[in-house]
Amino acid sequence: MEGAWTRIMHSVQLTSSGRMHLQQGEVECQLVDAVDLDCEGGAGWTLKTGLLTLTTHRLLWLDEKGKKAWAVPLGAVGQLYAVKKSIKSMFAAPRMRFQAWTQRDGKLATHGQRVTELVLTLVFRGQSGVPDGFVQRFAEVLQAKAWQQKRLEESPSGGHKGAGSSLETSVHKRPTVSTLNPAMAGVSGILRKEQEQWEETDKNLHDAFQDLNGLMSKAKEMVILAEKMRVRLLTGQASTVEEEGVGTNQEMQDWMLSVGITSPVTKESAGALYHQQLSRQLADFVREPLKRSGGMLAMVDAYCLFNRARGTELISPEDLLQACTIWQTLDVPVRLRKFDSGVMVIQSKSQSDDEVFLRLTMLVSNGEAEKLGISAAEAARALGMAPALAREQLLAAEGQGLLCRDDGVDGLRFFSNFFKDINASTIFQES
Amino acid sequence: MRRRPGISGLQTAAAARDQYRSLGENVAKIRTDLMKEQLATFRNQLEEFARKHKNDIKKSPAFRAQFHSMCAKCGVDPLASNKGFWAELLGIGDFYYELGVQIVDICLATRPHNGGLLDLEELRGLLAKRRRASREPITEDDCLRAVSKLKSLGGGFEVFTVGRRKLVRSVPTELNRDHNLILELAQVHGYVTVQEVENELTWKAGRALDALENLMREGLAMVDDGHPDGKRRYWFPCVGSAATGTEAAESVLSSPN
Repeated sequence: MEGAWTRIMHSVQLTSSGRMHLQQGEVECQLVDAVDLDCEGGAGWTLKTGLLTLTTHRLLWLDEKGKKAWAVPLGAVGQLYAVKKSIKSMFAAPRMRFQAWTQRDGKLATHGQRVTELVLTLVFRGQSGVPDGFVQRFAEVLQAKAWQQKRLEESPSGGHKGAGSSLETSVHKRPTVSTLNPAMAGVSGILRKEQEQWEETDKNLHDAFQDLNGLMSKAKEMVILAEKMRVRLLTGQASTVEEEGVGTNQEMQDWMLSVGITSPVTKESAGALYHQQLSRQLADFVREPLKRSGGMLAMVDAYCLFNRARGTELISPEDLLQACTIWQTLDVPVRLRKFDSGVMVIQSKSQSDDEVFLRLTMLVSNGEAEKLGISAAEAARALGMAPALAREQLLAAEGQGLLCRDDGVDGLRFFSNFFKDINASTIFQES
Repeated sequence: MRRRPGISGLQTAAAARDQYRSLGENVAKIRTDLMKEQLATFRNQLEEFARKHKNDIKKSPAFRAQFHSMCAKCGVDPLASNKGFWAELLGIGDFYYELGVQIVDICLATRPHNGGLLDLEELRGLLAKRRRASREPITEDDCLRAVSKLKSLGGGFEVFTVGRRKLVRSVPTELNRDHNLILELAQVHGYVTVQEVENELTWKAGRALDALENLMREGLAMVDDGHPDGKRRYWFPCVGSAATGTEAAESVLSSPN
């Protein structure tokens, strides 16, 4: 029984804060808590009460403890069966069934190959019905076939790179005319071809921005076009010496820093799980900025960076604060720290106080400092941190019993606390 | 009849080469210009869409991701809510939150140059550049309101007044490395003046004063107004060696008041 699904389902990696790793371009659409995944037929098995995530590429199931995750690639999903309404269903937990296919090795098919059929059932526990719009959304992502687009994109990319020098704006891939066209020959031919490309790009731009639907259907092409323009302008400006457009260049590079989270957790997708998921996503996100800023990041900075990465899906300062507060209850490698002054920072657990304490104790047991002690300003210089922070650390170390203070005419100075080294049982033996 | 190579033959070849090159340069230039033009259209359209269809964009997660990546690649700020009537009146809506994010963004970007202190006027200039899309100007009051929305994230981000200028501080004292630089500087004499700090570290006006005042509040610096040249000196008893310490004491004692 145990593990029957491991032969069928695809396993999913988890991030350090317990969110599932998404594939390139994959976007979360909806999260539902407490869902069973049930397999009917010969090797019947059930995955009990987990967190179900519907993305544009897969159906993900994360177990209750957040340790193991499994995926059903949407490419394997066949038909969705209508939710049956009957007397019986009023008493049982709401459920939804769908058809799935496995490939030859017994795993769920990622694409194409369809060998054996399975029927999987989602059982929504603790819900009075299949959550709003879940079925509809499921059908939508199945229809959008986002996972296929990705594969299509991958395949031609190999041959693409070599020819990247000419800006191919041809969005509908024109069959290349291999026969020699006299109008295309010579310098004027090159110029004419150039001209045509421009006109086409113009037309495409115009078409795409007619209305929202137009842009939606052309989104992929437009993203590629934007990327090409960017690369072209950036490299072009590097080679052609100085131009008035240096400002734009600078600007664009600035903006590159803020490309970020493809699949932001939103209230709409996560519902009641919003804050918890947001918290995990934030924990994953701040790792990089934390590294860059030396293990400590002011809340306001984090707020800005996180929101920037989320694009238009802004979160409010209150939501951010709540997400940080939940960290205490989750197993994540970061924590929120409040200073007495009211300033709050995000700190990585790995770059912990212990390390700082160790350095402080080393500091007070060396040379002059052993007799004179150290002040906050001296500690700040030695540790390379701001004096205010150094003082906080000294006080914290004192709280741990590592240091002790002398609040005298020289100001507040800290000394090594040697009382902790005295062992009560052997103290009299030596003397 | 083919002409034998000679001076004039070389010259024609050179001339032809020159012509080709100048043609090539021209084409390249036209190409870049055209591209810039198209990029500009692209940007304008994106900005307009970001403003008009904000809610529709939010509704479709997959499209939202694509839209964002378009914006990021073209250098368009997707945050472009108009202030609107209700925002103006009650301070609700996304406008001030978006503005807040943009303000912090600018502070972060300019931090390497100014150490986290930015003139409010300068900030407004940079904001205007970034928000080309919305034509309504950002007033000082808007900035203040946006900053006040960030209050719940703890202190450290604030607008304060120095003389007649308003400055935005984006680095909390706990993370401010400026203080270390000043302490370093103070080691030489045991004291520094605002002028000295500004000259030595080439800081803009205001930054030094703010840092020194902060150090004083922290209890690290002592103020000495009694020097004959009339310039306020900030003494740092904590960093000076014993010798400068006594010197400092003497100078304090011998000062006229």
